[in-house]
Amino acid sequence: MRVPIALKQIIAFTKRDFLSWTTYRTAVLTQVIGIFIAVFSWGVSATYVQKPVAEMYSSDYISFLIVGLAVGNLIMPLAQGVERQLNPWTLETIFMTGVSTPVFVIGNVMWTYIFSAISFIPYLVLGTYLFHAQLNPNMLSTFLAFLISVAILMGLAMISTGLRIVTKSTDPITWAVNVLQNLFAGILFPVVFLDTIFFQGASTLSWFLPQTWVYHLCRLAMLTDASIADPVIQLTFLKGALFALILLPIGYKVFLWGVNKAKREGTLGWY
Amino acid sequence: MNYTIETIGLVKRYPTSAKSGAVGPDGRPKVRGVSTGIFSALRSSKGPFIEALRGVDLQIKSGEIFGILGPNGAGKTTLIKILCTLVLRDGGEVYVNGHDPSKEPREVLRDLQAVLPESRGFNWRLSGRQNLEFYALLYGLTGAEAKERIDYLLDFTGLRERADDGYQRYSTGMQRRLLLCRALVRDTSIIVFDEPTTGLDPTGAAEFRDLLIDRLARREGKTILLSTHNLQEAQELCDRIAILDRGRVIACDTPDNVRHLVTERRTLRVAFSGVAFEEDQHRLLFGLGEVAGVHGVSPVLGQEGALVGLSIDIEKDVDLTRVLDLMTGSGLNIKSVNTEEPSLEDAFIAMTGREATGRGKTWTEGGA
Repeated sequence: MRVPIALKQIIAFTKRDFLSWTTYRTAVLTQVIGIFIAVFSWGVSATYVQKPVAEMYSSDYISFLIVGLAVGNLIMPLAQGVERQLNPWTLETIFMTGVSTPVFVIGNVMWTYIFSAISFIPYLVLGTYLFHAQLNPNMLSTFLAFLISVAILMGLAMISTGLRIVTKSTDPITWAVNVLQNLFAGILFPVVFLDTIFFQGASTLSWFLPQTWVYHLCRLAMLTDASIADPVIQLTFLKGALFALILLPIGYKVFLWGVNKAKREGTLGWY
Repeated sequence: MNYTIETIGLVKRYPTSAKSGAVGPDGRPKVRGVSTGIFSALRSSKGPFIEALRGVDLQIKSGEIFGILGPNGAGKTTLIKILCTLVLRDGGEVYVNGHDPSKEPREVLRDLQAVLPESRGFNWRLSGRQNLEFYALLYGLTGAEAKERIDYLLDFTGLRERADDGYQRYSTGMQRRLLLCRALVRDTSIIVFDEPTTGLDPTGAAEFRDLLIDRLARREGKTILLSTHNLQEAQELCDRIAILDRGRVIACDTPDNVRHLVTERRTLRVAFSGVAFEEDQHRLLFGLGEVAGVHGVSPVLGQEGALVGLSIDIEKDVDLTRVLDLMTGSGLNIKSVNTEEPSLEDAFIAMTGREATGRGKTWTEGGA
């Protein structure tokens, strides 16, 4: 039986793309692992969805989710803002203007952040009125939580960008952090629940992830009226701030390292 | 003497191994992902290397139009990107108005801007004017300064009428002119062009050359450094040129002098209108061969084998009186006499042993 030419052509395209896909060996591996972790995260959430979130925030699950969603929408785009600007040859053009690294990073995420901030309110309003989420915010703590979160994510953004300038592809650190956050950062369920799912003490791992602190501080501030005058809250915020203090200079160094390595190898134009 | 641009023993090496994977066999940056992993990309580059520049010495004076010529892979783009602070050198010294691009990039970029052919950085959804306003802000111009400068540049490049059209609607020539506008927003004293007319049609290329010479160089007195592999373009535009081959400067002088660097000879082409006796023809050819400074005589024969012209290989300063006397004495009527100077292409072939290809006389081969 003769195979129609159109079918042969479709097969040729498919084969080409499959072969191309397999050459990105690390990407293939990360995609496969990512699928497993995503499925597992949703599975864990599904078993938990009816349970209260009392262990950590003295709140209900819908409020917990709404705040998590709103915070994720507000802050997480910061980590992607710079990467989105990494198109071929644009870095050369921008660096020819003589802009400094902090200006480059902040400048490229500013609109994303402004837009996120504008859309933050509707999330909360809809969550409150349609789904009866109950917020109990402390304004000063919320402000501080956002400040620390922005610093943490700016550090991550610079690390990610610096690595991507060199790899021209997904960088292993950002990939690992993003994949692990789905399961360990407490986005869909409080991290203490990991002790129930896995083993006692499993949630300890979560506290080594910067994103865990982003969600935790924001939820504390917005769900529990956490006063910064409370020594326990102070200590919690200080721990989060420590992440920011570590990540910001590391991010700055990694970004500069990436740019200099690309300049040495003559590949800056490719991002 | 202080030069506007000076390089001393400039060396640049690129890693070539699959592990470091930075540069492909053609000298262009290699796309990551094909047979290379991201982890290997993060390792330091330990070679092996290809040498894109091998001890380049150049001095460029203020107000000059200086051309860098050479085939693909000669090191032209690498040299330009080092000057533009976009590539770090591995050895030697570089100065732009006395500043080292690797140590004082901001100072260098205050004096030097570039038009790079593959350059992006324009937002396709914004108009040409809006794109320029963005860069004017990055350069630190105030709103009023930016408006004045951008209006001037849009007039300067003939883009005023289309300034508010979306960038995506611009033709290749207009995009190239907008690139020039962007490079000029800061009004630096040095402008660098990498293959400025590549991709332009002949009219667009001619307009661009006029813009370069008449306005930027002659009227505004800017120092212009341009790389090209178009020999005709270099001859038309440049005060001085350097020929780069495999990372080395193999000649540096005015285009005229470079043409005569290798060969002091030129070709005299003579056309006859009359017919001479065969014996006179032989005597003429023999006599010409005896003249000092004449290195070869080739008869040009018409239909039926009649002598209709001569092609004579002569030294640059040969006295032509004796040559012409011999011709008129042979009974031939001289219809025309032309001398052909050696071209840059001739010089390059003589210097490198490689040939230029195509009617446009551009070189092909290799790419850093």
